[in-house]
Amino acid sequence: MSDELVPQVKQMIIDALRIEGMAPDEIDSDAPLFGEGLGLDSIDALQLVVAMEKEFGVVVPDADTGTKVFASVRAMAAYIAEQRN
Amino acid sequence: MTLWLFPGQPLKREAALPKDDDFRDIDRLCRECCGYDLVNHRALSGCLVSHHTMLQLYGVAMSLYRARRLRRDGERPDLIAEHSLGIYAALSVSGSIAEGDALALAGRIGTCMAAMGDRQSYALGCAVGIRRQALESAVGGSGAYLANYNTSSHFLLAGTASAVETALAACQEAGAFSVSQFPCEAPLHTPLMAELSGQLAAIVADCRFEEPLVPLVEHIGQTRLTASAIPSFVVNELLQPVYWEQTWRHLRTAGCTRFCEVGSGQALTKFNRWIDAEAAA
Repeated sequence: MSDELVPQVKQMIIDALRIEGMAPDEIDSDAPLFGEGLGLDSIDALQLVVAMEKEFGVVVPDADTGTKVFASVRAMAAYIAEQRN
Repeated sequence: MTLWLFPGQPLKREAALPKDDDFRDIDRLCRECCGYDLVNHRALSGCLVSHHTMLQLYGVAMSLYRARRLRRDGERPDLIAEHSLGIYAALSVSGSIAEGDALALAGRIGTCMAAMGDRQSYALGCAVGIRRQALESAVGGSGAYLANYNTSSHFLLAGTASAVETALAACQEAGAFSVSQFPCEAPLHTPLMAELSGQLAAIVADCRFEEPLVPLVEHIGQTRLTASAIPSFVVNELLQPVYWEQTWRHLRTAGCTRFCEVGSGQALTKFNRWIDAEAAA
């Protein structure tokens, strides 16, 4: 179920963070989003929180939850699927 | 209208450094003008340059380098804006002072500020995902100050380490999405910097500022700096908050449609993305 959300999550990341010149397929589903990988930071994290709520109706309440949710695209997809159930 | 934006001090250096002639020349200027080895990120033998001053110099140097590269690619700004310590490179690129003088000014001011850290422990605090009113209410009485109004949900605090710690705990309690604290040598953009006003004014008085050839918008009142206003601004900006959200909205209203962040990192680009998204909503 959550794997079906992976392409949508990738597109959401690209749109929310306005990443130019990158296709969804170029984002590794299992790579860390922060630090290494896409190299996101706390400003990006908040932008993703807002986007997730808007697009999927799912709330990330705090940074501790965010650390787990934003571990990778697959972790984000799993969190969205879990919160929707 | 094309805008060049000059960011403040980065938190860390980029992993890879350029290796071209422009970068080597900026490294030479760093060595000659402030005793800083840009390539190896260390003070030259016999020179006292603190860790934070080196990061400030690194930030100025990378902005000067990137401006050179943009010009080589045929780019020219119609307008310049700056955030915090981005003022030194912005002044140079606007034509008000030479590159070497910008580095020397940043180095002397950095060394002056570093001495504050010998007498007291200071910190910066970052509060994300909290609205201004809730933040101001949480910070009130802690002894910390609001130093950067970056977006409607991103703020920097500064003050003594204990005051910032107290303020951040209150921010978290008030619902901030995340908070983080960083050590620093001086509480930039707060009234606590007033104890250095005389020394800072003396350093600035040694510089001769020409009229900017490219209009330069400052981050406090969004005015265009003139040669006569620059010396007091360079001192006063260290005592007053950075109003970035206000500055970015002003620049958009002024007709800036294309911008380029000229320096290390993408902090301003990300702040602008947030501000623009809110404006569009």
